[in-house]
Amino acid sequence: MTPILQGKQLVKRFAGLTAVDGVDIAVQAGEILALIGPNGAGKSTLFNLLTGQHQPTSGEVLFEGASVNALPPHRRARLGMGRTFQIAKPFLGLTALENATLGALQKHASPKVARDKAYHSLVSVGLHGKMDTPAHLLTLSDRRRLEVARALATEPKVILLDEVMAGLNATEIDRALDLFKTLNQQGMTFIVIEHNLKVVRTLAHRTVVLDHGAHLASGTPNEVLNNEAVVRAYIGGRAK
Amino acid sequence: MTTQVLSKPQQKARLRLGPIALIVLLALISAGLIALWSGDPYALNILTYTFLFAGLAGAWNIIGGYGGQFSLGHGAFFGLGAYIVGSLYFNQQATPLLTLLPAAAVAAVISVLISWPTFRLKGPFFAIATMAINEVFYALANYFDDLTGGPAGLAIPFKPAWENLIFVDRSSYALLMLGYMVLVLLATHIFTNCRTGHYLVAVREDEEAAAAIGINVTWTKCVAMALSAALTAFGGGLFAMYIRMIDPPTVFTLAETGVKFALLALIGGAGTLFGPMVGAVAIVPLETYLRGYLSDYRPGMTLIVVGAVMILAALFLKHGIVGALRKHFGSQP
Amino acid sequence: MHEALSVLVTGVLLGGVYALISLGLNMIFGVLRMINFAHGELVMLGMYGTYLCVTYLGIPAYASVVIVAPALSVVGYALHRFIMAPLHSQPNMQIFATFGLLILLENAVLALTRGETYTVPSSMGIPVEIGELYVGLDRLLIFAIATLLAVGTAIFLRKTMPGKAVRAITQDRTSAQLMGVNAKRVFSFTFATGAAIAGLGGVLLAPAYSLSPYIGGNFILAAFAVVVLGGLGSVAGAYFGGLLVGIVESFAGYYIDPALKQAIWFVLFVVVLVLRPSGLFGQVGAEEVGLRPQH
Repeated sequence: MTPILQGKQLVKRFAGLTAVDGVDIAVQAGEILALIGPNGAGKSTLFNLLTGQHQPTSGEVLFEGASVNALPPHRRARLGMGRTFQIAKPFLGLTALENATLGALQKHASPKVARDKAYHSLVSVGLHGKMDTPAHLLTLSDRRRLEVARALATEPKVILLDEVMAGLNATEIDRALDLFKTLNQQGMTFIVIEHNLKVVRTLAHRTVVLDHGAHLASGTPNEVLNNEAVVRAYIGGRAK
Repeated sequence: MTTQVLSKPQQKARLRLGPIALIVLLALISAGLIALWSGDPYALNILTYTFLFAGLAGAWNIIGGYGGQFSLGHGAFFGLGAYIVGSLYFNQQATPLLTLLPAAAVAAVISVLISWPTFRLKGPFFAIATMAINEVFYALANYFDDLTGGPAGLAIPFKPAWENLIFVDRSSYALLMLGYMVLVLLATHIFTNCRTGHYLVAVREDEEAAAAIGINVTWTKCVAMALSAALTAFGGGLFAMYIRMIDPPTVFTLAETGVKFALLALIGGAGTLFGPMVGAVAIVPLETYLRGYLSDYRPGMTLIVVGAVMILAALFLKHGIVGALRKHFGSQP
Repeated sequence: MHEALSVLVTGVLLGGVYALISLGLNMIFGVLRMINFAHGELVMLGMYGTYLCVTYLGIPAYASVVIVAPALSVVGYALHRFIMAPLHSQPNMQIFATFGLLILLENAVLALTRGETYTVPSSMGIPVEIGELYVGLDRLLIFAIATLLAVGTAIFLRKTMPGKAVRAITQDRTSAQLMGVNAKRVFSFTFATGAAIAGLGGVLLAPAYSLSPYIGGNFILAAFAVVVLGGLGSVAGAYFGGLLVGIVESFAGYYIDPALKQAIWFVLFVVVLVLRPSGLFGQVGAEEVGLRPQH
């Protein structure tokens, strides 16, 4: 079956630094894929290659089987790719509702309708109580939630989440897991970058491990997390 | 639980006049003022200029305030409109009423051609580029002298007729400019409430995040710029038929046009519907009065005040009068 | 051929003027990334200052630099302290405020002089023969000083510690401060130096041009164009950029049309800005430095 989103032999070099080194990644429709690896492994860069913020030095990105290398980020977003950023970037001068509305406008041209849909997105992440709060007054974890809500409001087919669990307490994490599982049951595909291994075990169907920009291991969360090489990469055994 | 959820996104129960109602109210008050002072050419002149500049500042506000693209060269479109309408009337006896829209359309097209490559420039570089473009238009107006009358300019003959947009009585001019201001207010209101208008604000806030949710940043900016340029040129055309003497310095001098539109919008409150109008009301009558009062003493006195106002506005009035009022009375941004 | 040479020489000398003005701006805009639209006014004030020195103190025109340059550095210091520093992270407002200052100073001088033109007499107006052409010695002097200044500034920025401190501050204020650089003082000092150079420019220009309040406004956009065209922060860029602009203007004015002489390089400026924002000599990406938010 054709993966809904696929990266083939993706390489990204920044003058002197190879951030992504020949990575193959594929996610099937309806799957939840976790992307893990130590800091600096190239996970966020890989996201940027998939969604178009960076052009690959070589390699191809395919969405629903068709190459999207030539498409800028906004076109890929319209095809059905949603994402959040490692450092959350909601529109700081606008309220939470306005933020989410801007996401909803992608699929609903009428601002009134978009606003209603946006409200529901806020409800799903639990921010509806702060819908009139300007984003710059929100806490960091609320900003992260707002970014998720805004991305969800675009009704994407695939959503790429970059460390959205960071800074959430246990209750909030459970609530987020519930939300993602529900959305996944409704058909949404996920790629999540996560450091919280408990989340990875609970949520992900499959896991890919990156280290120093290259593919280190993949498989089910259990397989991967018990893999010796993966453990060493995280804890940092001596380089041989 | 469900009923609470559904009832949330309503307006807060508070007496608030909608924007359209406010615009109508303002129009009525202004028309009343015109009628009140219909015998006073001096007062009517001030009203005329106030409405005109309110409209011009409002036009700038679309791309400069809501869009956050700090253009200081909008005088280029103002002059373009003035010269197209004025020159076509002067050389071809083309009816101004009919040439206003085409002039606006030409300005819109040219503005997109120029800004599409320059939009990639960051803030101050964009501003400086627009000033450079303004100067180019200034030079071109001097150069194509068979069309524009060159440095001497065009003296438009006085043939009163409503289709010429030339009137004997000043009240009609004041009403015409009032109509222009209302046009700009309505256009701003409609545009900012449609999808592209919303997208424009997102683009202003964060271009990368905007693209990530599917917004075509360049297209959005171009649409806003086209509308802004069209409205500015429209005002330029009206101006040409009011003052009936246009030369390159009058329409292309940065301090008098391009920079001033931005100044008025900033002082009143950029990115708000009524900000430009507030700015025009605050500054234009004052400036006209000062010009008459001070220039008897020594040349250049009025502009000293204008310069000082600009410095103070930049330092202290970042969000304009409307912004300051909002903070004070705590209403929703 | 003789004609073209004459146009070229005129262009080079004009370029010297542009380079002179732009070198001062390069310190302020190119290095510090502060946008001072009133820079041309500083030159203008220098010119009028020279006139005052010559008329009321009786000293020769070029000697007044010892008074004018320090005076302008004080003006520059005040300008930085009261206008530029408060607007530190708001480049658009900097443009706005300094443009307002431009209008204010221009018209203040207009009001004070009631529109009378003044000239500064000097003994350097004698023509010098170069090949078959005659050029004014005063203009040659401008060109020579501009060249010296370019070399001096380049050495200062690259080789001396204070110069390196200035560059460090622009690139990363926090880190520079952690290294012991006093940011405030560096900014003030550099700004004042840029103003002093503007004053020097005024002294050199005064004998060669008739004094007008509008001279600052005439040069400012050109100066920005030169600094950007040459590449922000690049001394070579400001110098050669100035020469290039002078030559283009001279040729455009002679061979195309005097009305278009500035328009031509304005268009060139916008084109270069769009295609290569780092300018002709600048490092790619350098144009973003200093304009990114600093914490």
